[in-house]
Amino acid sequence: MQPFTYARPETVEAAIALLAEHRGDAELLAGGTDLIIELRNRWKTPKVVIDLKRIDELAPAIVEKDGFLSISASTVMADIVADERVQRLFPALVEAADVVGSIQIRNRATLAGNICNGSPAADTAPPLLVYEAEVVIAGTEGRRRMRVDDFIVGRGEVALGDAELVTAIELPIPAEPIGSAFTRMTRRRGTDLASITLCCGVDSAGMTRLAYGSVGPRALLILDDSGVLADPAATHEEKAPYLDRMFVDASPSPTSMRAGPEYRVAMLPVLGARALQTAIERLAHAT
Amino acid sequence: MTTGSVGTSQPRFGGYGRVTGRQRYLADIHLEDALHVKLVTVPSARARIISIDASAAKEIPGVRLVMTAADLPDPMPRHGPQYQDRPVIAVDEVKYHGEPVAAVAAETKEAAEEAARVVEVAYEELPAIVTVADALAPDADLVQERSIRRPGSLIDSNVLCEYNFGWGDVDAAEADVVVEGSYAWPAQTHFAIEPHGFMAAADEDGIVVWSTIQHPYQLQKTIAQVLDWPLAKVRVIAPDPGGGFGGKQHPKLEPLIAFMAVKAGRPMRLVLTLDETFMAVRRASAEIQVRMGFKRDGTLVFQDFANDFLVGAYGDTGDRITAKASWLSAGPYRTPSVRIRARAILTHTTPTHPYRGFGIPHVGWARESCLTEAAAALEMDPLEIRLKNLARKGEEHVPGDTPADGEWEQTVRKAADEIGWGTPTPPGRGRGLAIGVKSGPTTGLSYSIVRLLVDGSVLVFSGTSDMGQGARTIFAQIAADELGVPIDQVSVVMGDTAIVPFDQQTSASRSSVLMGNAVLFACRDIQAQVRGIAARSHDLDESEIVVDRGTVQLPDSRLAIVDVVKAGLGKLGGELIGTGEMRKDAVPEHPLGGTASFFEFNCTAVELEVDEKTGSITIDRHVTVGDVGLALNPIQVKGQDDGAAIMGLGHALMEHIIRDDSGRVRNVGAIDYRIPTSLDLPLELESFMIENADGPGPYGVKGISEGSLLVTAPAIAGAVTDAVGVVIRDLPMSPERVWRAMREHS
Repeated sequence: MQPFTYARPETVEAAIALLAEHRGDAELLAGGTDLIIELRNRWKTPKVVIDLKRIDELAPAIVEKDGFLSISASTVMADIVADERVQRLFPALVEAADVVGSIQIRNRATLAGNICNGSPAADTAPPLLVYEAEVVIAGTEGRRRMRVDDFIVGRGEVALGDAELVTAIELPIPAEPIGSAFTRMTRRRGTDLASITLCCGVDSAGMTRLAYGSVGPRALLILDDSGVLADPAATHEEKAPYLDRMFVDASPSPTSMRAGPEYRVAMLPVLGARALQTAIERLAHAT
Repeated sequence: MTTGSVGTSQPRFGGYGRVTGRQRYLADIHLEDALHVKLVTVPSARARIISIDASAAKEIPGVRLVMTAADLPDPMPRHGPQYQDRPVIAVDEVKYHGEPVAAVAAETKEAAEEAARVVEVAYEELPAIVTVADALAPDADLVQERSIRRPGSLIDSNVLCEYNFGWGDVDAAEADVVVEGSYAWPAQTHFAIEPHGFMAAADEDGIVVWSTIQHPYQLQKTIAQVLDWPLAKVRVIAPDPGGGFGGKQHPKLEPLIAFMAVKAGRPMRLVLTLDETFMAVRRASAEIQVRMGFKRDGTLVFQDFANDFLVGAYGDTGDRITAKASWLSAGPYRTPSVRIRARAILTHTTPTHPYRGFGIPHVGWARESCLTEAAAALEMDPLEIRLKNLARKGEEHVPGDTPADGEWEQTVRKAADEIGWGTPTPPGRGRGLAIGVKSGPTTGLSYSIVRLLVDGSVLVFSGTSDMGQGARTIFAQIAADELGVPIDQVSVVMGDTAIVPFDQQTSASRSSVLMGNAVLFACRDIQAQVRGIAARSHDLDESEIVVDRGTVQLPDSRLAIVDVVKAGLGKLGGELIGTGEMRKDAVPEHPLGGTASFFEFNCTAVELEVDEKTGSITIDRHVTVGDVGLALNPIQVKGQDDGAAIMGLGHALMEHIIRDDSGRVRNVGAIDYRIPTSLDLPLELESFMIENADGPGPYGVKGISEGSLLVTAPAIAGAVTDAVGVVIRDLPMSPERVWRAMREHS
């Protein structure tokens, strides 16, 4: 680990001022479950590390406001998993948050950090895409909002300026019930990085939203309004071509040690069909 | 007055400390004034070292020493358990990814790490040999220069050694059906939770070396040899390791640390990271070809093996693993003709080190898989074909070696019963079963000293290492029962060559048998002395007195040993000192240097289901049965067997070292080298024991602790075949591999 200055601002504005001062040489610390490893291995060598955990505005909180469920930047996975509203409204996010790392990791790792880290394998990205979540960003120019789908750019890359930080991730509370499910493929059942992450959401209007990650530089969201996929009465054979079409943009790494590209591509419709079936069953249960 | 602790599930000595974090591991020992060491490596599997410039490293505040080959004696001192070929530090050429070329010592760990990064190593990457085929190519570069090879016909090849074992005449054997296959076993790493650590402090009285090593006396010998000092000037302190699994058996970086401590005149400390342990030690990989011939009724006619063990850049124990495992290639079966050609092949990879099972899982994978395939070819039941050929007690399954030493059929039938063999398999499920047999130690020498103190408490001194297997508890149980004291009055002292007497090693599941006997004999030595005391005190002839299991039997009364001793020692107090020696001598004409002390015999059976869409395996029930002789401590036996079974599952389903084309290890560390977690266990996992008190250890025990991982993979592969019809011959059986096999099959 290379020595660095540790800063612990108490306001978002102070944190932004530090970011602006150290453009590119500062790293933000929330849970630290990625950052500490990167520092220890010298993959990142910032001059200053800005700890966000003393900022009141970012303190762990899940609140309803303006039709959104707002999850503050330092809210950890374990809190999300335990929250009754998230469980009820966004069960696939609970399923995803509940498999991030290990119990110890989930007690520290934040949802905002999981997205800002820009990992193609981020477990929470597919459900946030399916639920059409937004990030709230604070910077020197004030606050802005952005869809998670626009925020995620590529491998390790998000649409966040040098002097910006994410203050919250907000999920629109659906007016009509959505049936949703998250699944993934790993090398083992215990703690692991996924070789496929996948989330499926269906609504009673027949819209299917399917998002998947770890098979390309970023998680992708694909919509299908044919009604076939969401139709509980349609057979697997009827759905198969629609499902296959959703994965045409998958481009898994040919050199990954987790699984070969051919296998990953073959598994996408398998996992997709299973998540879709669960989502349909959950929608039926909810309506 | 026997306390009767033998045969009962006594709590683990040191167990509380282990689970509460209070145990002092090597890394918890902080030597005053110690310098922190960091290794310097180059990112190549093979490289010619052109120059090493340490000037920038020496500028970093706190750096006290940068050690390279140039700072060591010329010729470079070399060491190794079998071959004296491993240099203290790489000289001229890096022969495997991670081999240290320099080492930095500094006042702080951070300074050492910083300095290690700026040691400038100029090197030329050379093509590395990383596969059997590469190594055996006619124009292959030689991994080892002639000067470090043993003389002989193989000196100009990459074959470290070759063995030809067998009996009968395979070529003349007449079989109705011949089944053959090639089976591959990948390299794995030991993944002990405690990484390897080393410390050394030298002064005018000699040198003290601390190590996580399993064999402290072997380390003492190695250090004495490389420094050219007398044994008595080398003290090894070996705190109880946090898991070893064979990976901590032999010296590795201790000679380097010792030379650094001598040179700097300061104590040295090096605790490896998990990533560095991947570079320091690994398990052999192997490619095994099997041919088996049968009569139509399933009777084995011949077995023909060609075993290529891919060992590393230095001999280490590669020859021994190859020989000892291959010797038992044909397993516990009656076979009229057997031919085994086994080779240990040098490559530019991490030196192969012993690993729980010692090569037997590799040959077992091939033999048991082939046997399952043969059962299909003969339209026989996989259990029936095994029972038909299984050696019964007293039969020589390997002519000239120790005969079958247990009621092995009982073990196999128990496993079959526990998995429900022969009952209808639930839909979508398959069952598999395999048999493993491993030779215990072929030679051994263990000493113990037992001191019965005046208050009736007992000290047991033993050179065994307790790395989690529970050796302390076993020895305490023996001493408690033999001397008639409660087990909590016994202390077991280990891990310091200045205190405990010589022990050859802690390996091959030997300690309960060999050291157990040494402890038993030391107690019997005390019992003989007690007999003398009782005779004098009661004015009897010694022939009238029997001392056994804690009691002194006089013609008309029965006394506790402790009471006789207290009375006999009188006012001055004192103690009784017993010594015990257990020796299993070499048999020079035996190809392995000695016969098997005992066999670890295991049958593993599983029932599983395969996700036909993804290839993912779910094990519904996993059963292992071991022929243990007698369980001195049943809960410890069960713990060892359960643990080995889970370790075997890791090898079968997910573990393998991945190298890139140039021989570098790609999956260094925990992220991409996966071992099973609690969530990866079978839905039911049970270990059972067969006890007939027919072993060579105290009260009839045999060694245990490796049995349950000997044939995990072939049992699972057999069940996969039963479930979905595909045959798997490569490991690990990842979902992707099973999926590919199913796709090719359909």
